[in-house]
Amino acid sequence: MKYEHLNQFKDNFSNYTELRVQENRNNRVNLTNGNVTSNFAATNSGVSARVFKDGNWGFSSSPDITDESISNVVKTSSENVQFMNKKNATRCGFFLPETQANHEMDFSTHKNRQNQKYWIDFIREIDGYMEKKYPELLSRNIIMSGLDMEKSLFTSDGSESYSMTPRALLYLILSIEKDGSPISIGNPWGGLGQLEDKFLKPADYYFGIDTLVEKLKQKADGVYAEAGYKDVILDADLAGILAHEAIGHTTEADLVMGGSVAGNYMGQSIANPLVTLIDYANTCNGETCPVPVYVDDEGTRSEDVIIIKDGVLKEFMHNKDSARHFEVDPTGNARAYEFSDEPLIRMRNTAFVPGNNNLAEMISSIDDGYYLVKTGNGQADSTSEFMFAITMGYEIKNGKLGRAIKDTTISGVAFDVLKTVDMISSDISWSSAGMCGKKQLIPVGMGGPAIKCKVNIGGR
Amino acid sequence: MDRKETVNYCLDSLKKAGADKAACALNISEKKELNVEIGEMTLLRTTFNTNMGISVIKDQKKGSTSINKTDKESIDVAIELVMGMSKGSQPDDAYDIAEYQPAQSFSKGDVSANLDTMYQSLEEFVEYVKTTYPQIQLEQAIMDFNHSHSLFQNSNGVDFEIREGMYGFSPFFLSKDEKNTSSFNYTGFSALKIDKPLHNYGTIDTLLKQSVEQLHTRNIKDKFIGKMVVTPDCIGEFLDFIANDISDGKMISGNSLYKEKLDKKIVHPKLTLHSRPVSDEIADGYFVTSDGYLAENSTIIDEGILKTHLLGLYGSKKLGKSRAVNDGGAYIVDPGDRSHTDIIKDVEQGVLLARFSGGYPASNGDFSGVAKNSYYIENGEIKYPLIETMVSGNAQEMFENLDEISRDRINFGSCILPWISFKGITVS
Repeated sequence: MKYEHLNQFKDNFSNYTELRVQENRNNRVNLTNGNVTSNFAATNSGVSARVFKDGNWGFSSSPDITDESISNVVKTSSENVQFMNKKNATRCGFFLPETQANHEMDFSTHKNRQNQKYWIDFIREIDGYMEKKYPELLSRNIIMSGLDMEKSLFTSDGSESYSMTPRALLYLILSIEKDGSPISIGNPWGGLGQLEDKFLKPADYYFGIDTLVEKLKQKADGVYAEAGYKDVILDADLAGILAHEAIGHTTEADLVMGGSVAGNYMGQSIANPLVTLIDYANTCNGETCPVPVYVDDEGTRSEDVIIIKDGVLKEFMHNKDSARHFEVDPTGNARAYEFSDEPLIRMRNTAFVPGNNNLAEMISSIDDGYYLVKTGNGQADSTSEFMFAITMGYEIKNGKLGRAIKDTTISGVAFDVLKTVDMISSDISWSSAGMCGKKQLIPVGMGGPAIKCKVNIGGR
Repeated sequence: MDRKETVNYCLDSLKKAGADKAACALNISEKKELNVEIGEMTLLRTTFNTNMGISVIKDQKKGSTSINKTDKESIDVAIELVMGMSKGSQPDDAYDIAEYQPAQSFSKGDVSANLDTMYQSLEEFVEYVKTTYPQIQLEQAIMDFNHSHSLFQNSNGVDFEIREGMYGFSPFFLSKDEKNTSSFNYTGFSALKIDKPLHNYGTIDTLLKQSVEQLHTRNIKDKFIGKMVVTPDCIGEFLDFIANDISDGKMISGNSLYKEKLDKKIVHPKLTLHSRPVSDEIADGYFVTSDGYLAENSTIIDEGILKTHLLGLYGSKKLGKSRAVNDGGAYIVDPGDRSHTDIIKDVEQGVLLARFSGGYPASNGDFSGVAKNSYYIENGEIKYPLIETMVSGNAQEMFENLDEISRDRINFGSCILPWISFKGITVS
């Protein structure tokens, strides 16, 4: 739902103001062992305004999108900032940098939209394939979901933008019984686009399912990792989450202002010179990224942020307020999830830049270590200490892949780990199933080549 | 249409559209939210929200939708959508809605918040942190008041109405000096009234004090197997492992470790776990389950014995087992005999785990993660805060090997939890 005439409300603005109309549409079907356990669709839309004056912010939102309610949210936001200014005038005189951008981008499918029955039948066919071919599976859980985020923005600086950014995902979680206990594995497919563009026919996923079941069986027969400080190869999924969680968050300027350790390192060598890390706005090597952002929710044109270049910490990610604080240009990282959310500094598509090695030579360079392939979740700290759950990996012994390992966790201090990187593969693979949590959720893209480094691995 | 008429209109329209069974839940809320960012009060938010959840069963096929509009046109569009969704789904005899119960209304908490008073509370908290713990960076603190009006009706004649006002507070902070940065930490609480300084709620002041100590961390010397004393801020994550394992998802998929364990011992007899959503002790409980039943208090684990699974209406019918009388949450663990400080005095070698940064336990209960904001314990004394230290074990075995539960507990508004110590944890 594109809202065409937000600029008609500019006479209601008395200070710096962002006015946004947004609609999020979710749909989800879930099949558990052949039973439809979720068949759900939701639409959440409304209008919000955010006003800045003398260092304070006022925000208001309403689910009603009428001329009257739009005027009301601008009025309430203005009253809220007045309330804050009356209580605290110490930031009087702060002004935000002005930015202006005009852009429209619509990733809607050009195909006919399919109804929920079509997608239920689609995943039932996938389920039928698994049930017939792999009766030994203890459980089969298939989730198909779509999220459309549609935003219309107008700001007092004169920015006007419209975006329709969809994401479609197919997620499988399979389990098998081993010695009386369930062992599980999961895998997502999909990314930027609506379901009709991402998922053409069920048979396209059968090879991937066969591979996933093979990995599950390897894992069921797997061994516990040996706890300790080890040489590892982080495959693309792991490298992506390292880029996002362990480095990315510490270099979001609001977290830097809050005391993140990265604030101490600007301009310093913090990684092996092989390492370059970028938060891409929308395009990488001529290809559209999983979560393309052209104009952010403050009306700033989104630019790539080169966080680390050749091992040196170069840039933080900014919104307007942090750019004012650091006296730099805003980078277009301000994003909000729902209409009722205010924009926060968020990553877009964060990835290590590929190197010159290939996976085979990276494996052959390790005498005793691990090749880590899949991750469940990850968390990081203001200190850059991180942990990632490992849901699939293999031993490396004498330069060769060995047995699969059971679920474990790796950890380390990212700015130390990056100094141990000594090989990076030449390919790049993106993951776009991630939702980042920071007061609000937001879809993010993560990517990378495979990286060889040293980390702590948990085990028994 | 007023709100009641809106819900009536939705249900009537669903019946006219051919629904065999239908349910409609309307929630209208207004939230005032004050935000501290980097130690400064900078943002006031006022948000109005509407949510209308609609579920329909036709020929034993089910569809559900939610919208945030209440005009007739939007409801009509949603009904057409959800009827189509149910038609396109698969039949399942386990789909159902709550049976008739007498109509009831509930209310608790304030109808509106005094914004000046909220501002003053938060301002005093910011000032308290600045003066008492000057090394702390208050990265973010959010104080909010949410008032909601909810209506739940279904085609079996269920008719519930709830009005609720709730305060919430959640600070997020770390410490920093010239050289060092501590791990961040966070906590929070819910309350019907704010009647004392914010730092006196829950564990806030304790965690602020510890944050400063955690500027200077150390590694353990060698890997060991010892005790892990888990704090009230952290124990909920491990209790959730059991709760999730006895809920619909894990039970229906067949992955639950406790599927056939009703009335059997699943944890050490020292543990008794209740879910009490309608207890006066729990401010932030709930009156009605998501299926539309009046919520009741229950004992989930009684002296180590599993007394109920947490199955909803669908899960219970699907598996032929009893429906839980609530949706879980609002957890209260019965206290033990000794204070947590006395429990720590008995630890020869171990860890005081205050925050667990780790993957969710695997299906078989295996877990490993980083001990954040945590301390090394030796010979009954807390020695130093830890860095780069991992704890690992198996959640199922851990609860079987439970050591002690503290007498002292923390009421977070949404749950009341003690310190619990466990034996046989690998620390590396």
